[in-house]
Amino acid sequence: MDPEEVEFLGEKEIITIVPNFNYGIINLISGDIGPFRAGLPVKVPMWVAVNLKQQQTCKIQQPDWMDIDFLEELRETEKNTQTFTKMPNEHYMALTKSILNCASDDLIRANEIRTLVKDIWDIRMSKLRSSVDLLIKETASYAAVDNLTMMEINSVRPLLPHALDQIYRMKKLQGPRIGSNSTAGQSSRMSYSFRS
Amino acid sequence: MALRYSNCRNVWRKALELIKELDRCTGTLPPYNSDLVSEVNNEIKHLIESNLEDARLDEENRSSGDVSLLPTIICRHSAIARNFRCLLAYHYNRLRCIRTMRWEFGGILPPDIKENLSQLELEWFSKYSNSLAQYMRSVGEEGINLTVNLKPPKSVHIEVRCLVDYGKYEMNNGTIVFLKKNTRHFLPRLECEELIRQGVFEHVVS
Amino acid sequence: MNNMDIDHDLNNLLEIEEDEEDEILLSPATLVKIIEEAWLNEKFSPEILPNKQEYVDLLLGQLAAMDDNLENASDRDIKKGVHQLEVDRLKFLVCSYLRTRLEKIETYIEHILKQENERIEKGEEMYLTDAEFNFANNFKEGVDKHFDNLMGIHPTMPISWKNQIVQPNINSFVFAKSKADIESILIDEGNDDETVYVNKDSQIIISYNSVSNLVKNGDVQLI
Repeated sequence: MDPEEVEFLGEKEIITIVPNFNYGIINLISGDIGPFRAGLPVKVPMWVAVNLKQQQTCKIQQPDWMDIDFLEELRETEKNTQTFTKMPNEHYMALTKSILNCASDDLIRANEIRTLVKDIWDIRMSKLRSSVDLLIKETASYAAVDNLTMMEINSVRPLLPHALDQIYRMKKLQGPRIGSNSTAGQSSRMSYSFRS
Repeated sequence: MALRYSNCRNVWRKALELIKELDRCTGTLPPYNSDLVSEVNNEIKHLIESNLEDARLDEENRSSGDVSLLPTIICRHSAIARNFRCLLAYHYNRLRCIRTMRWEFGGILPPDIKENLSQLELEWFSKYSNSLAQYMRSVGEEGINLTVNLKPPKSVHIEVRCLVDYGKYEMNNGTIVFLKKNTRHFLPRLECEELIRQGVFEHVVS
Repeated sequence: MNNMDIDHDLNNLLEIEEDEEDEILLSPATLVKIIEEAWLNEKFSPEILPNKQEYVDLLLGQLAAMDDNLENASDRDIKKGVHQLEVDRLKFLVCSYLRTRLEKIETYIEHILKQENERIEKGEEMYLTDAEFNFANNFKEGVDKHFDNLMGIHPTMPISWKNQIVQPNINSFVFAKSKADIESILIDEGNDDETVYVNKDSQIIISYNSVSNLVKNGDVQLI
């Protein structure tokens, strides 16, 4: 999948903006937004926020999780656990990118946030690479990938599915397994760091 | 027999050359190589004739327990199959490429591309073009143009730079813009898509 | 037309006929969600999935109505930009969904038409829409004609190009998210079988074949 398409889905996430104009409810096909009152926070999809921000008609409110203390703690947890931590938002990467792109002037300590989110992403990607490696060595037939976000899943595509596909073909050629040979197959069911 | 072997040595080379030719030109379509295609065709014909002849001989020899022709027949058959496969791959991949051009350029191909197509390919293109147009007309109440909206939109307007002296251009809403080389414009994205594809505009990514 | 009326004409609830008796009322927001899920499923499933024509038609109707309203709206209205961007986003979604299906039809033309014709014979519901089926038949006609002309090299050709069918690999691996608790999914290990229990909202990577029915009935979403 094109990363732009993952971002496209991420832009549907709801965030809070503070408009500087007054306007009634807008009935979008995908749901109503508004009413807008100057100075009062209102929730809208990210793509609406970006659009209004580009016209300088709103400020974007920093999402709760875009907080230095919170992100530092998250980074530590991610570093110290084997499994993947649940992220505060399914599209944390796309949201960070969009908000920093169009509204870094609305954020407190924007640069530190950029670095922290990047750190968390890097730690997770390195974990992901070793998990993929393990999974292939274990010749797994399936695995749990809980807590991985869409962008992360997309980054191992098509490599991981293709690799497992080849393994499956080889197993098929091997024929039914018998007796003591079953250990490899058994352990493949556990997908260590993928499990939450 | 000696003559037959020496003939066999060149088998596969020509067919492979067809594949290599396509492979070298990824993204573009090289001129249809009818000379090489007919050479491969002749090779296939020749191999089939030889096999038919040997198969007759083989049948006669069988009664006396002689199966010495069998390996030659099998070998030739593989060569036929391989040549056949290469021809299929060559023509199939060309169709894929021509198909993509329908999406990029619409129903009318630029002349410099058109001259690289064989007569059969031109016929195929026109049929494909019509079927696609017919399909797009029949979706929903009013039809839908699937060759636009290729990427997720980020904003309604985008910034573009004009690459050629295009002259007057009338937009969907009736406004007329004057497109001069190296000028920058802020225009509705949908209107730009087509012109970007034609090489009139270049999307300025901020 | 007054600017405030851009979204005035839109039906808030759309009717869709599920069975002959049951009419389901559907909000436009739900409709968008259905198309989004269909888009992702179609993107990642190796085979072509049952069509969602009625939903596509409904959404296209909404988009056409919105287009009409936007034409009359003032450019200075804040609302116009937002509506326009939403229309563009949804058009991309629908177009991308339909394109993905056409690409599959072209790639697996022989295989898909064979399956569709079997469905017709058995009186089952078809996966392709009428328009897609028509396109598929035209496409096949074109390809057949092309290769019949090219590959009839010798009157006694020992090989037929028609045997060289491209088939989707339904065992290919996909990422999937469960939308319900699923009692048992059969895992084809290639050389052995086993079953697993999958909780709602779990994410797994698995052979498509193991979840194809669950994708079709909506218990599993491909991601």
